[in-house]
Amino acid sequence: MPQWLVSRWTIVPLLFSALVLAWNGYVAINDGGLIEGRVVDGIGQPVPDATVILFDRSFVMHNERQRSRTDEAGRFRFTGNDNHSLQLEAQTAGLGRSERREVRLWFRAQNVTLADPLRFTGRLP
Amino acid sequence: MTTMRRRGTYLRHAALVGVSAIMLVPFYWVLKTAVTNENIYAYPPRLLPERPHLFNFVDVWYFIPFPRYLLNSVIVSAIVVACNIAFNAMAGYALTKNFPGKRAVLLLFLSCMLIPFQATIIPAYLITSKLGLLNSYVGLAFPLLSTIVCIFVFKAAFEAVPHSLVDAARIDGLSEWRIIVRVLMPLSKAAIATNVVLAFIWSWNAFLWPLIITREPTMQTLPLGLARFLSYLEDTTGALYAFAVMVLAPSIFVFLMAQREFIRGLTSGATKG
Amino acid sequence: MMPATGEAAGRQGGWWQRKRTRDLALIACFLLPSLTVFFLYRVLPLGWNVLLSVQYWSPLKPARWAGLDHYEEMLLYDDVFWQSLTNTLIFIGAAPFAIALALGIALLVNSDLKGAAVYRSIVFLSYPLMTVAVGIIWRWMYDERGGIINFALRASGLITKPIPFLQSFDWALPSVIVAEVWQVLGFYMIIILTGLQSIPQHLYEAASIDGAPRWAQFWRITLPMLKPSLFLCAVVGILNSFTSFDLVYIMTNGGPGHATELLITYIYKSGFGQTKFDYAAALTVVQFILLLALTYLANRAAGGNAGSLEHR
Repeated sequence: MPQWLVSRWTIVPLLFSALVLAWNGYVAINDGGLIEGRVVDGIGQPVPDATVILFDRSFVMHNERQRSRTDEAGRFRFTGNDNHSLQLEAQTAGLGRSERREVRLWFRAQNVTLADPLRFTGRLP
Repeated sequence: MTTMRRRGTYLRHAALVGVSAIMLVPFYWVLKTAVTNENIYAYPPRLLPERPHLFNFVDVWYFIPFPRYLLNSVIVSAIVVACNIAFNAMAGYALTKNFPGKRAVLLLFLSCMLIPFQATIIPAYLITSKLGLLNSYVGLAFPLLSTIVCIFVFKAAFEAVPHSLVDAARIDGLSEWRIIVRVLMPLSKAAIATNVVLAFIWSWNAFLWPLIITREPTMQTLPLGLARFLSYLEDTTGALYAFAVMVLAPSIFVFLMAQREFIRGLTSGATKG
Repeated sequence: MMPATGEAAGRQGGWWQRKRTRDLALIACFLLPSLTVFFLYRVLPLGWNVLLSVQYWSPLKPARWAGLDHYEEMLLYDDVFWQSLTNTLIFIGAAPFAIALALGIALLVNSDLKGAAVYRSIVFLSYPLMTVAVGIIWRWMYDERGGIINFALRASGLITKPIPFLQSFDWALPSVIVAEVWQVLGFYMIIILTGLQSIPQHLYEAASIDGAPRWAQFWRITLPMLKPSLFLCAVVGILNSFTSFDLVYIMTNGGPGHATELLITYIYKSGFGQTKFDYAAALTVVQFILLLALTYLANRAAGGNAGSLEHR
């Protein structure tokens, strides 16, 4: 093994470049801007046809960006998100407003599926 | 006898651990503030971060914008490091020869070490302005393009190369420039490393000169970006401190990689070249 | 390109002259870039400062001769100048304590203690950092609500209300000095360590054989042989108080009032805040003369040319 190859001046920059490339590759694959999730009520029942609002962050404020409706199974999806710090809130006639969930991403337009559904505090009749 | 020595050792360790703790507390405090999820101004402050998260770093990356300042700093530092190696090696080589006026040149260099950069800022600004280099990468790099400490480091390294090698190269018909590149530099790796580290750190950390020279936010370097957002980011999150951590990370990284070279550069500057 | 040695030895006069000139020209070329940088950014500014300081100069109007007007205004009428000067001298006054502290740490670390290199690195870690970031860190440490210093003081019962360190007329300058010492301590330690390691061991051995106690060995052997290192630390300490722009700018910007105003921050404010370039140049000249005088005094105190090169 030639000496220069195993010196820290070669290994560390190479490692660093490899990490940067790998990260950029991961970002490129996952930056579709897709946000998916579910909405449930207080006891876990899915809430169909609720309005879900997507806010995204501009420096200090969150501004409403998009609206969508949930399907029969309470699922919603947004496309075209290009921010890294979001808030989601659901509204429906019977239950008022849900919690406002903060969603922070690792990079802009990261595809994310909410692990924990948006919850209302009441229960559907 | 041995018990006393062992107790002495324990005491030394205890004292050093105490000193180290004091030296490290600022790092810990800022790191903890940067990752905490609570209102950082709440009293009493917690000693451990509450619900730590790394998203402040993401915010800093996109909102500052960190990449722009990083790019500016990297470009300026690259120019400074490259020119330092070239200019200092050339000057160091020239100083290994004997020529009329060598004493005067040496005296000039040594006396320039007495002139701190801060004593030159007003005219330096006017000169750079006249050269039309305000708000440019070259203008940012110019005052740092050569440093006297590093010239002497190269001079010492070149003088340590055995004369026979240089003479053999000259007989082979190599020009002076090729002698430097082909014979002397490969044997002066330590000097080059020292030069790189010193030049990088001095240009990376430079604040006053970029403050004076840059006119637009897009040309600012990292220290300026950090200072500029001191007033903006006084919100209750640790975003400003996340910025500080991101700014310090490269310096700490370079330090860990090149500690020996850095120390060697500093202490060799302490002895007459 | 180069003639064979036989030919060069055979001829004299014209050809030899030209080769020598070529060599000299080459040396001049090699020296040119560095010399240009130093001329443009060290020598020329020094001279131009002096020139500016005796003129009424503004970017738009032609220069007029001012004589010593600026100096008169500075020395007789400018309270801020005297305040900055005092602050700068207080800054320098803290250096001996910092150097003594570094000496203690260096002595502790300079043994075959296990892990000495780790301790050394930890203490030195603060030196290569960006001073702007260091200023922000310490600003936060001193914060009344979120800072650890006030928290520790209150939690240990030493005080009941938080101290506004950086906003108080009494505490601001010492607070900035503490931050500066934190950053430069590692540098002093490294310099002293280098000096300690160059002291020949046989001196200590001979003294031990003669029965000299440890503290006597310290006073008679260690300290005198450390004089060059201590001198260098002193010069750096003096230089630091003239150049600590970054720290003061970030932590207090000279405030409250002018309690932490240093000469260098005042120069910056006069030149680039108030655009009084000529007055700022006069201030710079005074600052430089002061720097030279203090360095000379330190040299005399160290007993002549005991000092080696001043650090950058």
